[in-house]
Amino acid sequence: MAPAPSLPIHPPNGPVNGDASKQPPQGRSSQKSMTKAERRELQEKQRAAKAAAKAGGPVNGAPSKQAAKPTPQATAAATPKRPTKSNEAPAPTASALRTQTAARARAASVSVPTPANARGLRIFSHFGLPKPVSVAKGDIHPTILRLALQFSEFKITDYATPPNNTLSRHLMTYLSPQISHLVAARPMSVTMGNAIRQLKLEISGSDIDLPEQDAKDALCQKIDNYIRDRIIIADQVIEETAGNKIKDGDVILTYARSSVVQKVLLGAHAEGRQFSVIVVDSRPMLEGKRLLSVLASAGIQCTYILLPALGAIITEVTLVLVGAHSIHSNGAVYSRAGTALVAMMAKLHSVPVVVCCETYKYSETVQLDSFTKNELAPQGDLFSSFPSVKARDSLTLENDEHLEILNPLYDLTPPNCITAVVTEVGVIPPNSIGSIPVALGRLL
Amino acid sequence: MSADLHGSQRAVETLVSKLRRRQVVGSREAALETVLVLRQVVSKARFSNIDQLISLIRSVGKRLVEAQPKEHSVGNTVRKLLHHIREEYNTAMTGNASSSKTVYSISNFVLQGQPRKQNVAPKSEATLTLKENDPDDPDSFARVLKPVLMEAIQDVLDELETVYDNISKNAKDHIHSDEIILTIGHSKTVETFLKVAAHHRSFTVIVAETGPSYNGHEMARALSSAGISSFLVPDSSIYAIMSRVNKVIIGAHAILANGGMFAITGSLLAANAARVHSTPVVVCAGQFKLTPLWNLYHDFGALDFADPSSVLGFEEGNLVDKVDVLNPYYDYVGPELVDVFITNDGDHPPSSVYRLIKETYDDDDHEL
Repeated sequence: MAPAPSLPIHPPNGPVNGDASKQPPQGRSSQKSMTKAERRELQEKQRAAKAAAKAGGPVNGAPSKQAAKPTPQATAAATPKRPTKSNEAPAPTASALRTQTAARARAASVSVPTPANARGLRIFSHFGLPKPVSVAKGDIHPTILRLALQFSEFKITDYATPPNNTLSRHLMTYLSPQISHLVAARPMSVTMGNAIRQLKLEISGSDIDLPEQDAKDALCQKIDNYIRDRIIIADQVIEETAGNKIKDGDVILTYARSSVVQKVLLGAHAEGRQFSVIVVDSRPMLEGKRLLSVLASAGIQCTYILLPALGAIITEVTLVLVGAHSIHSNGAVYSRAGTALVAMMAKLHSVPVVVCCETYKYSETVQLDSFTKNELAPQGDLFSSFPSVKARDSLTLENDEHLEILNPLYDLTPPNCITAVVTEVGVIPPNSIGSIPVALGRLL
Repeated sequence: MSADLHGSQRAVETLVSKLRRRQVVGSREAALETVLVLRQVVSKARFSNIDQLISLIRSVGKRLVEAQPKEHSVGNTVRKLLHHIREEYNTAMTGNASSSKTVYSISNFVLQGQPRKQNVAPKSEATLTLKENDPDDPDSFARVLKPVLMEAIQDVLDELETVYDNISKNAKDHIHSDEIILTIGHSKTVETFLKVAAHHRSFTVIVAETGPSYNGHEMARALSSAGISSFLVPDSSIYAIMSRVNKVIIGAHAILANGGMFAITGSLLAANAARVHSTPVVVCAGQFKLTPLWNLYHDFGALDFADPSSVLGFEEGNLVDKVDVLNPYYDYVGPELVDVFITNDGDHPPSSVYRLIKETYDDDDHEL
C-alpha cells in the first residue's frame, strides 16, 4: 500500500508536482532557478491555453483522457518547488495544489540548513527533496512509460506542423519542453530515458515526404509497437523463461514487490508446480504486503518476514527471485533498497539469485554505488508503515536539529552477488550484460 | 528462622514469575535483580559446609534459568557468584588464591599460563578458623563465612552498576573526528559509549531502525538530544550506506563461548555488509553477558521469537490465516564477523572469549 498523500491525483499516472532532480550546488541553483522558472512560466501559459482548448477539443480515446487529467492538474501544480540546498525541510505534499506563486514564495522562505551542519549531514544532501507521490518499482515503470509516450503521442496527434517546417525537426523541439516537464516531476530514470531516446530516433527517421497525417500515424504505430514488444511481450517471455527455473519443492524468496516476479510466480503456480514463497519486506514502502495478498489469494503457500529476520530463514531458501529498476553494463542491478542485502545473504549461503528484468531497463552507464543516483521516499502517511501495536509517540517522524530521517528508495547490488539475469532475449550472466544491445540487434 | 527462609523463598518466587512473564526488560536489569535475590538467599541461608551453600545457590539458579532460558544474564550472574563464593571459601580455608582441584586438565594448563588474574583480591587475608560440620555449633561455619560472602556479592553488584561507565572509559580512543558510525536498534551500552565519546570528538551516527521493534527511533532520539548529529534510516538501506560508514558499533544480548553472540535482529545483516565492505565491527557489552554456551548449528531453538502481529497485524484480516509469519527477536552473529568486544574489563578479540569464560566461571557451573 503506497503511502500516497491525500492528493486527488491518481498515483500511477502521476508525474504531479515536481521536485527537481539532483540538487545543483547552492550557488548555481539560484542562477538556474531564475531562468528555469521563467521558462516554466512560459510553458505553463502555453499548457494552460492548450488545456483550455483541449477541454472542448477532439477526444482521442483513452490516451487523451488520461493525458488530459494530469495536464490541468499539472498546470496548476507544475512548479517544482525550488529546492534551496536544504533537504532538511521537505516541502509538505499538500502544496501540490497551491498556485505557482505561493509555492515559490514558500520555497524561498524554506529554512537554511541548520548551523551545525556537520559533514555527515552534507553527504546526503544531493538526494534531493522527497517526491510527493510514491511509486512502486516494477509496477509503475511501464505505466509511466505509457504515460510519457501517450503524453507525447497525444501531442503528436494533436500537433500540426507549422508551415515551412518539416515534421521531424519541429516535432522534436515541440516535445522537448514536455520531456523536461516530465523530468522535473521525477528524476530521469533509465527506462524513461530509453523510451524517449527511441521516440526521438523514430521521429528523426520519419520520411520527410510523407503527408503529415500519415507521418503522425506511423509514429503512433511505432510507439504502440514499442510498448507491445518491449514491455508486454517481454514480460510474457520472461515469465516463461524464469518459470522454467522453478522446480517442485522449491522455496523461493522474493523481496518487496516486482510486477515481473509476481507474474512469474503466478504463472508457475498456474502450471501446477508445487513451491512455497517467502516474501521479505521492509520499510519505507512495505510493498511486499501487496504481493503477499495477491499470492495468497492465488493459493500459493507464503511466509512473510521483515528484512532483519532474513538471517534466520535464508538457510531454507532454494532460489531468490527479484526484480530491477535498471541494469547496468557492468552487471550491477539498481533496484529497491534492501535487494542488495538479500542478494548478499543469499550469496553467503550459496543460494542462486535470479533477477527478472526487461531489456528496456538496460543502461549503458556504469554505476558504482547507491549514492550517486538515488531518490528519497515520499513523506506520506508514515504511521501506516509501522505496526499498529507500536505506540505512536515512540516513533520518530520529525527532523530536528541534530536528527534527520532518510529513506533512500534504491540501492545497487554488485554483480558478484547475482547469478543470472532473465531478460526477453535470454538468460544472461551478470558480466555479459553489456551484450544486450547486440542481442537486441540494434542500438538502444 | 523459618520466616527468614520463607522471606528469601518468596523473593525467589517473585523473580521467577517476573522472568517468566518477561516483566524484567534488559539483560542488565535481569542480572541486577538476580544478584539482589541471591544476596537475600545467601544472607538468610543456613549451612554448615560449603557444599550445602553451593547446592542451595545452584538450585535457586536453576529455577531462575528455567523461568527464562533465553535471558542468559541470569544464569551468568549465578555462575559468577558461585565462582566468587568458591574463591572466598578457598582463600579462607587454605590461604592461597588458587582453585582447589589438581585435576590435570587443559583448563588448568590454560589458567596456569595466565599473565594476569582477573579475580579480585581475596577478602580474608588471614586464614579464618573454619570448622565445617561442627556438631556443637552448626552455625559457626556460616557465621564466619557470611560477611566475607556478602562483600563478594557486593563486588558483583558494584561491577554491574558501573558497567556503562567502565565500558565508555576509552570511548574517545575508538572513535576519531568526522567518522560516520552505524548502529542498530537501541543498546544503552552503545548509547553511553557514544555520548561519552561525543564529549571529545565530533562524529555522525546513522541509526538503523530495525523492524519490527523499531528501537532505532529511541536511539536516534536519545543521541540527537545529546547533540550528536544522527540519521535515522530503515534497515533496507544498510547495504546502500555501508560504503560510507567507517565503523559499525552494536550491542549484544549475550556473548557465546566461541566468540559469537546473540544480538538484536538486523545485526547479522549489518555485520555481513560490514564484512563485505571491510568495515570494522565493534561490539560493546558488559562482562555479565559472557555465557558458557555454544550455538554451532543455529537452531531456531536458540533464538527468541516475538509477537508476529507487529510484522503482519490483525488489520490484514484475510491474510492472517493463509500466511506464516516469523518474528525472531535475536540474530546469531558468528565470531568471524566481529572484530572486537569492548567490555567493562577491557577490549578482547572474539578469539580470546574462551579464556575470559574460563577465568570468570567454574567448570562445574556450566550446567546449573
